[in-house]
Order: sequence, then C-alpha cells, then structure tokens
Amino acid sequence: MGWLRIFGARWRGLLSKRQLDQDLDAELRAHLEMLTEENIRRGMSPVEARYAARREFGGVEQTKELHRQQRSIALLDALVEDLRFALRGLGKRPAFALVAILTLALGIGSTTAVFSVVDRILFRSLPYPRDDRLVSFGDTAPFEANEFVLGPDYVDWKKAETPFESVTSFVPGGADCDLTEQNPVRLKCALVESTFLPTFGIEPFLGRNFTSEEDRPNATRVALISYGLWRSRFASDGHLPGRTISLDGRPTLVVGVLPAQFEMPNLGHDDILVPAALDGSTDRRPTARQTILRVFARLKPGISIQQAAAAMQPLFEQSLNYVPPQFRHEVSFRVRSLRDRQIQDARVASWVLLGAVLAVLLVACTNVANLLLARATGRMRELAVRTALGASRGRLVRQALTESLLLGVLGGLAGCWFAQLLLRLFVSIAPDGIPRLEQASIDVRVLLFALAVSICSGILFGLAAALRRPAPELLTGKENQPTARGLLRQVLVTVQIAVSLMLLAGAGLLLRSLWKLQTVALGMDTKSVITAAIDLAAYRYPDSAKQLAFFNQLEARLKHMPGVTSLALSDTLPPSGGMQATFLSSIEIPGHPKFSAGTGGMIGYRYVTPGYFPALGIPIQRGRGFAEEDRSPRERPVILSAALAKRLFPGGEEPVGKSFRFGSQNDWRTIVGVAGDVKNNGLAAPADPEFYVPWKNETEGYFRSAHVIVQSAIHPQGVAEWIRGETAAIDPTVPLTIEVMTTRVGKLTGRPRFTAVLLALFAGLDVLLAGIGIYGVVAFLVTQQTREIGIRIALGATPRSVLGMVFRNMARWTAAGAAFGILGAWLCSRFLESLLFEVRAHDPFLLGSALLVLLAVAFLAGWIPARRAMQVDPMMALRYE
Amino acid sequence: MAPPRGEVLQGTLDLIVLQTLEVMGPLHGYGIAQRVRQVSDDLLKLNQGTLYPALLRLEQRGWISSKWGASENNRKAKYYSLTRAGRKQLLRETESWERMTALMARLLGGTEGA
Repeated sequence: MGWLRIFGARWRGLLSKRQLDQDLDAELRAHLEMLTEENIRRGMSPVEARYAARREFGGVEQTKELHRQQRSIALLDALVEDLRFALRGLGKRPAFALVAILTLALGIGSTTAVFSVVDRILFRSLPYPRDDRLVSFGDTAPFEANEFVLGPDYVDWKKAETPFESVTSFVPGGADCDLTEQNPVRLKCALVESTFLPTFGIEPFLGRNFTSEEDRPNATRVALISYGLWRSRFASDGHLPGRTISLDGRPTLVVGVLPAQFEMPNLGHDDILVPAALDGSTDRRPTARQTILRVFARLKPGISIQQAAAAMQPLFEQSLNYVPPQFRHEVSFRVRSLRDRQIQDARVASWVLLGAVLAVLLVACTNVANLLLARATGRMRELAVRTALGASRGRLVRQALTESLLLGVLGGLAGCWFAQLLLRLFVSIAPDGIPRLEQASIDVRVLLFALAVSICSGILFGLAAALRRPAPELLTGKENQPTARGLLRQVLVTVQIAVSLMLLAGAGLLLRSLWKLQTVALGMDTKSVITAAIDLAAYRYPDSAKQLAFFNQLEARLKHMPGVTSLALSDTLPPSGGMQATFLSSIEIPGHPKFSAGTGGMIGYRYVTPGYFPALGIPIQRGRGFAEEDRSPRERPVILSAALAKRLFPGGEEPVGKSFRFGSQNDWRTIVGVAGDVKNNGLAAPADPEFYVPWKNETEGYFRSAHVIVQSAIHPQGVAEWIRGETAAIDPTVPLTIEVMTTRVGKLTGRPRFTAVLLALFAGLDVLLAGIGIYGVVAFLVTQQTREIGIRIALGATPRSVLGMVFRNMARWTAAGAAFGILGAWLCSRFLESLLFEVRAHDPFLLGSALLVLLAVAFLAGWIPARRAMQVDPMMALRYE
Repeated sequence: MAPPRGEVLQGTLDLIVLQTLEVMGPLHGYGIAQRVRQVSDDLLKLNQGTLYPALLRLEQRGWISSKWGASENNRKAKYYSLTRAGRKQLLRETESWERMTALMARLLGGTEGA
C-alpha cells in the first residue's frame, strides 16, 4: 500500500500547493539563518557568513524545484501546465481554434453518429447471455430468404444427437390476436415453444415461463406478456401473473411478464408469447399439413458454427429423403449466427457507411494536421528559443501533443453535439427495416467511442507537427525555408484528394443506382391511385361468409364515391411480394409436360376484382381482362402475366383459351388473357411470373385482409376520408391503413435511398474539407514563396507565368492524389456491388465525373490563393524580410 | 572525473538521515546537516539543500514524521522524527548495507590477495 500513501501525499501536494510552498520557504529560511549564525559564531562577518551559508546550502531555487517535483505528481503537474499553455495558445488564435474544432467536430460527429447506428448492427452484443453461441439453422430454398425447418424434421432432429446445447422454435408469421376485454385491441402474438426462453437465457421479469405440459395441444391456454404491454395495458400490475385475460374471446391465464429488454430473435414486435403447442406429428404425406418453423439453438461449448453445420449435415440429408426428388437440389442446409440472421443484408451498407465516415474523419484530421503544421512553421523560432533555454525534445513534443489532444477533445465535444443532430436526421429520413435503428442513441458506449476517436485523431494530426525538430539556426534570425517542409503537407493533401475521390465515386455509384431504381418501369401506373389495407379481426369475422358480406358491402358503398375512375379489391398489392404462391411444378396445362426439374420456383397469384387492371393501369396484352360475370361461381377464368405466359408457352403458342390448373385445386380454369408484367418482387428484381384469379362472389378463397384500390382524380385526402367514413359505417372497429400508391412504391427505394443519401452527404462533406485543405496548402505555399514570386515578377515574369508556377506545383500532388484515388475507387467499388442496381461497379463514366468534380473543386480552392500570388507587389515582396 | 569528496550515493542519504534521527531523536533539517558533517568529519559534505527533497521522500513513505517546533534559540523550525515504520526500515537497510559492505570487503580483500 506504500505507493498509495505516496500517491495520496503527492495528490495533497498538488492541491495545497501554496501552503506547502510557504512552509518550505520558512523551513529553508530557518536553515540558512542557523547556518549564518553558526558562521558568525565562527568569526565571519555577517555578509561573509551569509554568502558562506548560501554556498554550503547549494541552490535554494533548485532545492525548491526538486522539492516541488518530489511533492507532486510531476507528470500531472506538467500536464496542467501544458494544458494551461495550450488553452492560452488557442485563445490567442481564436480563428485557428474555431476552424480546427469545427473541422474536427464534423469528422468526429459524423463518425460518432454513424457508429451509434452501426454499432447496434455490427458490434454490440445482443440482449441474450452469451449471445455469440446462439444460432439459427434450417433448410434454405430459393423461395424463402430465411432458413426454416419442417415440423416432422424438427421432431426427428430434437430426438437426435445434435451439436446444440438446446434447441427451440417459433412459428413464423405469428398471429394477430385480439385482447377482447373492454376496449378490445389488436395485438401480435408469437407462438413459441416452452424451451424458447431458456434457450435464449431469458428469465421472465415477473411470474414464470410456461411449462412443457402447457405447451401441448388442447392444454389450458396460457400467455407471457411483453413488458411494454404490461406497462401500458395493465398499469404495471404486479399481481397480473395468475390472472386470466380474454384473448381472442377465450380465457387465457397470464403466467408471466417478459423483461423490458426482451426482444424476439427475428426482431419482431410481439406483444404476447403463447405456447406453440406443436403436435409432434411426423406425418409427411403430401396431404398432411406440415408446420414450418424458425429454429434457433445454443451451440455446445467449443463447437463452431462450421462444425455444427457439418454435424447436422447427415440429419439434413436424411430429411431430404422425404423431399420429392426433383426438388432436392434446390434445398440446402444452413447454420448462421443469430446476428447474421437479424441484420440480413444491412451488413454491407453498414460497413460502407462506417468506411465513408472514417474517410471523412481522416480528411478532417489531415486538414487539422495541415493547420497545425502551418502554425508550427510560424512558431519555429519560439520553439528554437525554448530549446536553447533547455527544454528537452520530449518536453516540446509533449507540449505539442497536449495541444493537439486538447483540440481533439474539444472537437470531440462539439462532435458529440453534432452527432446528436445527425442521428436525429438519420432517424427522420430512415426507411423502415433498418435493424435496431430505433434503439440507436448517443449513450455511454458511443461516448467512449467518440472519446477514443478524439484522442486517436488528436495524436494522429498532432504527431506530424509535434515531431518536427526545431532548428537552432533559426535563432540567428535568418528565415531559412527548406523546400522539404512543404512536402509533408502536400502528401497530406494528396491523401485527402485520393480519399475524397474514392468517396465521391462510391456516392456516384449509389446515386446512379438509386436513380435507376426510382425510374424503373413498374409495369403499372401509380399516379392518382390510393390504396387502403383492411384487416378484419378473426374473432369478429371468423368465417368466410362474414368476410364476404363485409367486403361485398364495402365494395357496394365505395362504388358510389364521386370522382372515382376505377375501383378494385385484391388480396395483395404489387410491387412488394407477399402474395399467395404455388410451385411452378404444380401448374398443369393439358398437352404440356409438367415442369419437373425442381420446384421451378414460386409462382405468385392474386385474387382481384375486374377493376384491378384499369385501376392500376396494367395493360392486357392479349385476350381480355376480367368482367363482372367472371365473379359468378360458374366461371373459372385466369389471367397470366406475360412472364408466366412466356414460361408456360415458350414456343410462342397462343395461351388464351387454353386450360390451366394449379396446386391442389381440381377445377380446370380457362386462360382468358395475358396481362403486362408488373414488378412484384421489389424494384431491383425482374418481375416474377404471376397469375390472377377473379375475386369471387362466393365463399371460396376468402381472407381477412384485403386492399382497396381506388383511382381518382380528386385530392387523396378527400378519398381517404371517404374510404374511412364508408368503412366505419359498416364496422367502426376495422383498422385501415390508407396510402397513396406512389408513397407506397417510394418506400421500396427507402433503404437504397438512405444509404445513397448518407454516402453522398459524407462525400460532399469530404470534398468540402478537401477543398479547404487544398486552399490552405496553396495559400501557405504562396505566402512562403512571396519573395521568390516578387523576384520573378521584378525580373519580368507575367502574372500568367506566376499563376502557372503555382498551378504546376499544385497539379503535381493533385494528379498524384487523383491517381491513388482512382486506383482506390477501382479496388473498393467491388464492395458496393451488392448494393448496386443496373450499374456496374467499375463505371468509367461515373468515375470520370467524380474525377472532374474533384478537379474542379481543387482548381477553385487553388485559384483563390493563386490569384493573390499574381498580385504580389515586387517591391513589397523584396522588402518583406 | 573523480569527485573531490565523497559524493552521496542515492539511497545512502536515506540511510544516513534515518540513522541520525535514530541516534539524535527529533531534529530539524539544519541539525541533521550539522550532525552529518560532524560524524563524517567533513569527508562527506553534501549540499545541504539536497537534504530537503530526501526528507520529503522519507516522509511520504511514512518513515519519518514532521512537526513545527521552536529551535534552541527560539526560532520556528520543522522537527523530523523517526516513525515506527522508519525504525523497521532502518533495521532492514542497515542489514542490507552491512551485507553489502561485507561483500565488498571480501571482494576487495580477495583482489588484494591475488
């Protein structure tokens, strides 16, 4: 504990400095006086005695200094001194300080803001204990983005030896459920196994998990409710577990409340967990209804994801035996980390943005480094004096670094404020579906990151200036200007130009791709189309007769709306997916062989009323559209999309009039028409083949959810009001989501737009900073060369040739930067490939444009100081010294 | 360059101060300096100023303590005295010093013999 006491004593020493100094003074004075008296007693004269005492004692001031050093924590003391000095220095040059701090704030702020977003996606641990051991596994097939497991396989695998400590599942899609007490409310329920919480290592906040007995078919109904629901709906009632609530009109026992930080592994927003009550059936006959499950597991200790995948392979291959042979090659097995499952394709965009802001930070740092270098040049003489007076090299470096660290931290503080603003901007322009964006905030972890970034950049940009050796010759008063001095600064600007060009090229690629995406032909006319999504509650509309009655009534009422050009109902809407689908291999055309080389992929279909094609402006290319008569039960028409027609009748054979049958439906339909292709799988993918069947006036094929499509020349607001009013007149409890179709389509470009806009923002910031950097360096060089320029002008150089001289110099490192930038852009744009749509990563036109923009900025930034060079007055310049 | 008189080895000064306080009891800085000069017959003449950082160091380690008092001719002076920890330290240092000198003696004696 000795060092602790010493440290304590020294700490006190730092705090009560004045008192201790006075004490020491008194003590030393006493000593000297006693020595003097002694000397007098020995017979010296008083003056002589005092001198002798001084001699004997040694340097009083040195003793004090030594004492003070011993007393305090020398480093800390020096730090305080350095800080005070640095603050004074900054205060003396407020313009310099302001520019440096603002530049850093831009760099650190952008980095911090982006980090606060991507940290949740890429780095921060998920809210489960030992989250790195959690995986998602199952089959993958072309028609489904996420892995899944079929019920019978799951039953088999759970019995087998697996590389997992525990395995659990939930039923995808969950279910809407209604809390049917007073003030009924629509909630989302997730169907999970009783092993669900234990596998994820989650304990209920109140009450208990449900037991395996409760997780069986026909058991008493139990539920776990989310923390949010518990707070909002049940007023944080601590006695809620054990109470019975009414869920979908049936009594359900609440057994527990989930903790506040609980989240579903698929990031779904579920309010209630209810037992999946899987029946454990291994019935694999085609007629059996196989449950599809999302399966999650915790790896056994020491098992890697690859090992787990290898260990599961035999079980998977066994399960393949039950898959019809023609489909087998399309199915494979995948184990991936829970994080990968959650963030899906956000990884690339996250890294791209993080890389972009780091580039901004780098450019900001080089700018400040340049500023500091310029200032250091002005301070060379001061430093030389300090060296001559005995300051050690290390002491000077420390002083310079303290100053840059102070700048870094001040910039960081301003940056945190800027980051807060930026983050708010991100959230406001962000589309749906960016994982965890709503959680992003500037919290302690992000602040620590900002601090680390500030300190690192402080060292980074300060080092160049700090490590320069002050030349003692400067003391002679001669201004010597070694040309090498400018070299470092030019290298820094070269780096800036290279980095800016890379960012600019990347932003160009994304913007061009976004533009292509937004102008892609949808195959339909979305102008003045308004849609309303309707979702009927299961407990109010339990059977198709009730549903049919509702929609018939709604259709009849809406028909009379003034100003409506066309009106349609459909179960799903393009251009997003989510429609009902069947395998291509299940489609039959008489006289055609059935597709047998695999599933053939999924073919989507929609139920539509006759108004669908005119309302969305989808052209009927052959045959006819649907008519009212087609909705009678006797008629069985079908309309194919052009892509499907081409697929089913490849030889150019006429499809209209042919028979058609799909799925397990036994009735033959007649193909009455072929409609134009409509984007139905997002904007980037080509239109998938699909077909249309009429929305019937019969109870077959009814659904609880549907879309009303209205094409109307009158103001959307009015139409929306009308739809709301008419729907409420039938049933005021039905929830409605009304959207303008163009907005709906616009949402699909949300993600790419977000990435592109942010990257463009950072590229713009980068170019701006680089421009400032170039300006700074050229201005510096011009000032340095004032004399030389003056002499040249005196000797007859024209302003043009002076300009040429400045620009030639600038051109050298701009060209070098551009060359490196092109090389870097060429190498890096590969990483953007997965984000691009119909744009090649190596688009020479875009790269050339980026180069032009950058050169224009460089020229402009150089022009201003270069013009000053032209106006140098030779007389003034020669008298300059 | 050979020092003209015995330079104080870093560390030995501590030992000297501790030993002085052990023998003489509480003493002010000037007293310690005089005592060192007396005992060493002026052979070991230290810059008296260097004593003060050493005293502070010893105090920070808790081996000596200090308080203000009046000197023989009624001057205000700071008196230093050995603490219990200081006494222990003195014992330890004396031992190690003796071991060291014995070793040196043997070593140098051996050289002479060879």
